Amino acid sequence: MGLPGPIHDFLLVFLGPGLILGGIGVVLLTNTIYSAFSLGLVLVCISLFYILSNSHLVAAAQLLIYVGAINVLIIFAVMFMNGSEYYKDLNLWTVGDGVTLLICTILFCLLMATISDTSWYGIIWTTRSNQIIEQDLISNSQQIGIHLSTDFFLPFELISIILLAALIGAIAVARQ
Amino acid sequence: MMLEHVLVVSAYLFSIGIYGLITSRNMVRALMCLELILNAVNINFVTFSDFFDSRQLKGNIFSIFVIAIAAAEAAIGPAIVSSIYRNRKSTRINQSNLLNK
Repeated sequence: MGLPGPIHDFLLVFLGPGLILGGIGVVLLTNTIYSAFSLGLVLVCISLFYILSNSHLVAAAQLLIYVGAINVLIIFAVMFMNGSEYYKDLNLWTVGDGVTLLICTILFCLLMATISDTSWYGIIWTTRSNQIIEQDLISNSQQIGIHLSTDFFLPFELISIILLAALIGAIAVARQ
Repeated sequence: MMLEHVLVVSAYLFSIGIYGLITSRNMVRALMCLELILNAVNINFVTFSDFFDSRQLKGNIFSIFVIAIAAAEAAIGPAIVSSIYRNRKSTRINQSNLLNK
């Protein structure tokens, strides 16, 4: 089902530093256009990671919507609105930044402690044993399509209405 | 690929997104950090769906819903920012006090 071994390992080696350095770059780069491209790197790495975890439909949706639409829109907004005002932000390191950095580090350490304390493999074995009985007749994308048109039909339609209203609202706000 | 490593990467993206969302002075950068947070949530959904629920795949469906909501947010956000920029000639967060008077 998955990719062959060397490609899998190469992607894993490439993905971790890409995600970490890209995440730092989005926040810490002073020029906004560089941080927008760094966000694009992060989104592409996340899409490759979805391919590694056997979720090809979500990987395609991530690549199309996030990289193709949202990131391009953000880069367009940066190019449209930024003059030369980012040079004034260079030497602003206030107390609030330090406090926020401390709080976010504490939050990250708490999350890591919780992750390492939980016994995930007990949960995996209890749920895997129920699933072995069912046969793998249809692929993942077909499974998602069946769920979207039966169980999640009402949320699917509501999402489409929300998207339509958001697009109309965005046009109405932007062209006044 | 271990489950814990993916969760640690997701927690890292979430915390750095929150840090950037609080401390950034540019509205567009705040929107980018919001996308980082939503992507961390999506990573968790897809990973748990792959590890625990590989027949039903309901986590994938929720991640598709989250992507759709993020698309709506990314359409609304730059429209509001460009409207503020047209009025104030600036996208700094600490200078926008349009609702103040």
